Amino acid sequence: MALSRQWRRRLAYGGNATLVTGLVLALLGVVYGVADRNRARFDFSSDSANQLQPDTLKKLELLAADGQEVEVIAFSSQEGKADTFFRNRAMKDLLAELDVHSATVKTRFVDFDRERLTAESLGVTEYGHLVVRRGEQRVDLKAREIFRNQGTGAERSLEFLGESAFSRAAAQLLSNRRKVIYTLRGHGELDPDERGPGGLSELKALLDQENYELKPLDFFFDRERTGAPTVPQDAAALLIARPKAALTDAEEDALITYVASGGAVGIFWDPGAPLPDLVERLGVTSPEGVVMDKLRVFPYNDRPVPTYGGHAMVEDLREERIVTVVAHAAPVRVPEELPAWITPSTVLRTSRDGWIDRGGVLDKGAAVYEPDIDLIGPVDMAVALELSPGQGGLVNEGKRVSRVLLMGDADALSNMIMGEGPGNPSFAVNAARWLTWDDARLAVVGKPTRVRRLALTEEDQGRIRWLVLGLLPALSILAGGAVWANRRGR
Amino acid sequence: MTATFAILKRELLTYFVSPLAYVFLGVFLFLAGVFFYLGIALTGEASLRVMMGNVSISLMFVLPMLTMRHFAEEQKTGTFEMLMTSPVSPVAILVGKWLASLTLCLLMLLGTGLFVAILAYYGEPDWGVIATSYLGLFLTCGVFCAGGLFASSLTDDQVAAGMGGIVLLMPLWLVGSASSLVGEEWQARLDHLALLPHLRSFTKGVIDTADLSYFALLTFGFLFLTFRTLESRRWR
Amino acid sequence: MIEVEHLTKRYGAFTAIEDVSFSVPKGHVLGFIGPNGAGKTTTMRVLTGFLPATEGRAVVAGFDVFEDPVEVKRRVGYLPETPPLYRELTVGEYLRFCAELRDLPRADRLRRVGEVMERVGLRGWERRVLGTLSKGYRQRVGLAQALLHNPPVLILDEPTSGLDPAQNVGVRELIAGLAGDHTIILSTHILPEVEALCAQVVLINKGKIAASGTMEAVRAQAAPAYYRVSLHAAGVEPAAVARAVGALAEVKVVQPDGEALRVESEPGVDPRPAIASMAVGRGWGVSGLERTIPTLEEAFLSIVGREGA
Repeated sequence: MALSRQWRRRLAYGGNATLVTGLVLALLGVVYGVADRNRARFDFSSDSANQLQPDTLKKLELLAADGQEVEVIAFSSQEGKADTFFRNRAMKDLLAELDVHSATVKTRFVDFDRERLTAESLGVTEYGHLVVRRGEQRVDLKAREIFRNQGTGAERSLEFLGESAFSRAAAQLLSNRRKVIYTLRGHGELDPDERGPGGLSELKALLDQENYELKPLDFFFDRERTGAPTVPQDAAALLIARPKAALTDAEEDALITYVASGGAVGIFWDPGAPLPDLVERLGVTSPEGVVMDKLRVFPYNDRPVPTYGGHAMVEDLREERIVTVVAHAAPVRVPEELPAWITPSTVLRTSRDGWIDRGGVLDKGAAVYEPDIDLIGPVDMAVALELSPGQGGLVNEGKRVSRVLLMGDADALSNMIMGEGPGNPSFAVNAARWLTWDDARLAVVGKPTRVRRLALTEEDQGRIRWLVLGLLPALSILAGGAVWANRRGR
Repeated sequence: MTATFAILKRELLTYFVSPLAYVFLGVFLFLAGVFFYLGIALTGEASLRVMMGNVSISLMFVLPMLTMRHFAEEQKTGTFEMLMTSPVSPVAILVGKWLASLTLCLLMLLGTGLFVAILAYYGEPDWGVIATSYLGLFLTCGVFCAGGLFASSLTDDQVAAGMGGIVLLMPLWLVGSASSLVGEEWQARLDHLALLPHLRSFTKGVIDTADLSYFALLTFGFLFLTFRTLESRRWR
Repeated sequence: MIEVEHLTKRYGAFTAIEDVSFSVPKGHVLGFIGPNGAGKTTTMRVLTGFLPATEGRAVVAGFDVFEDPVEVKRRVGYLPETPPLYRELTVGEYLRFCAELRDLPRADRLRRVGEVMERVGLRGWERRVLGTLSKGYRQRVGLAQALLHNPPVLILDEPTSGLDPAQNVGVRELIAGLAGDHTIILSTHILPEVEALCAQVVLINKGKIAASGTMEAVRAQAAPAYYRVSLHAAGVEPAAVARAVGALAEVKVVQPDGEALRVESEPGVDPRPAIASMAVGRGWGVSGLERTIPTLEEAFLSIVGREGA
């Protein structure tokens, strides 16, 4: 009894007490560690702005599977611009969510102005940029893919699409399988390996960055082939870039078979070039003549400035007013009446002042519209078609929708124009994305974050200032004074 | 329980019969008002997020001033001896005092309800975010009150207790922005200790069990240390 | 009612009290005296459960202070050296708070507060703010606080310090009235107070008990009884008289004390018969042979002086 009393005193007082205290604090640390690793998060914001989508979470999980670190480096938006505060905050919020939900994701927010060196070392030259890196892989997301302004004035709102942007990047990091786009060869087509102005080497490099491989498809020199020519199984899409000669019957058949099985084909041509039968089977024609417009790319006379149609692949370009340049384009005519299984959508067309020039006089070297010879516009230059399966159409029942992009200009893809047209690289990449069903990377889907604006007039501000800075503190001080006076009286 | 409640009542009575509480309320509401006004004037957003971050930091300076008298003064005037010789456990005393300062915090936060009313009148605030923000700020108050109490238990000099409280709490803020000193790698680790990253979840509308446990454990830790200090004052 | 056995309290290297033992029967008043810093307050704090002892044990009202501090605290009313008051509160607010703190049944609280205020003479002072009260009234509030839960044991640390003589008498009467129902430990500087109130005394000095027991015992322990002897011997030198007395076997020390002689003997030996017969034999007159017990003050001074020098 006496001993235990002594022992208890020792535990409660003196040096042992310090030890016990230390142990308890260490235990608290451990409990936090456990809580940090097993967390549950509940988003109470009204539009669940912070809740990462299941798709994103899934991707984070997949990224974490091999334990390799994923670096997410976000750059600040430009100081002093409208909404910079919201842009930066939205970005930081997203980074925090990514951090919390993944053990392998390491996020970093870089002040573009202050940490120039970081920006330089990463080759980032833009405010609001996002870099996602894993090992050797790297995906860059441009500010305009992340932030989007809608409306003007009081209706103005900022949309933050950071999560879907990141999600796309993650998809890219995850897709080890490169998609193969076959380019038809053997009829004098534009060549992906040709580095000259008429080649497609720039397109090839561009698509390579986006994880697409351009592979030649040569029905004549295929030594492994037995039997009739077919488009290979691994084709994500087939590109036919201005054949100078007509395809053989066997090739035409192969093409039709490919489309029937839900394949995607992009066909680009120039005025006068032969068209595959497929085009005709779809009811599309290319009337004789060259597309002209009063809007032309200076100093050229044969380069009309196209406007963008309503198709998703050019939505971004239309949004940002980035021009795609075409040269000497052939018209693409889609008939008014199409079978139900074909859904057309304009990609590129002339302005209201465009026409199809079929000869006649020149004014200072440029074609002019002559009503008796030429055909009045506007004229389509590129059209996207979606062919539903069945319904008596070209695509077999049970197959997936076949996508066909028809464009009356192949030069737009060539090295010559690719470097000149500001929008051409995006146009080409988006075309590839659309054809290969990478829509997620094309049209940014996902929930935009809305900024809740407060519209205050000068008067409102004055009133609020008075209420908040004057009335409220004064009231509490007055109450204090009253109590004090009352007590002092006793 | 009775004792805790008795102490809570007594502390509140002491607050409100002296001008102290009112001065605090006034100063706090003024500071919060400045941050609120700046927040909406600079961003033009119907939200309290800008205010919440700044207010949490000003609470770091205000609350130790509120709690500094709790033990320091009792030690000095001898009332502490009476408390400790009453049939009441030190824990009850501690919790009573902590709840008392927390009640005052609640009143302070209630005062800022005017800001919410202004937002609702002129705009469309996100009610979910506002609710979680207030929860976060209240939990922050809990941590700061516990820390302030701990500082107060260490000394019988009120001013030293107040200053000590601020010095004690300051690291919770500073470790959150030490990246230039310790590098990114360590900053990520330090962020676990820092208060603002945990508060940020609440101010954007997210309740995370890890953040909840951070606030709960920190509060408990400070209260526990206070308890040990009170005990040790008897044998040292 | 109070048993203290071998109590020792050390603060680090400093020993505040060492091996203190005493006991107080139920209903008695124990006077606790000693110079400042002797360890009175420390002992009282141990008994109230405020401080834990380093060694030894104390049982108050049947409960061990270390084992059952809460039970002890329920049964003890304690008035510290400075009354523990919250300056901002009124007398009523303060006493009601104390009543809650002591966990008095809700129904009894107000009644008890009224009774106690009546008892210590605070009637009509309920709404006064404590900070504005005079020292005497603060002391009364402190006392009221200690009495609230009607504890069987009262521990009062200098209850009359700083009071004017009239207030002093009031408090003293109050304590005298409490004795019997309550077991009281009282520490004080004012020795007449102890003599007036206490049946038992513990004299503590430098952390150790210097003397304890009944009033007489302490006095005797502190300074032995002596005798005032007044002899009338015509024509004899006072020095010769003193020498003659000193020569007696029963007498140990003889000192002149004014007209008379101060005679000390071994404890238990009464020298008066020998002195008387010697005086009668020589034909001297005897006008006084008194046994004198030293006052508490003398005892206190003799002990403190003896050890403190």
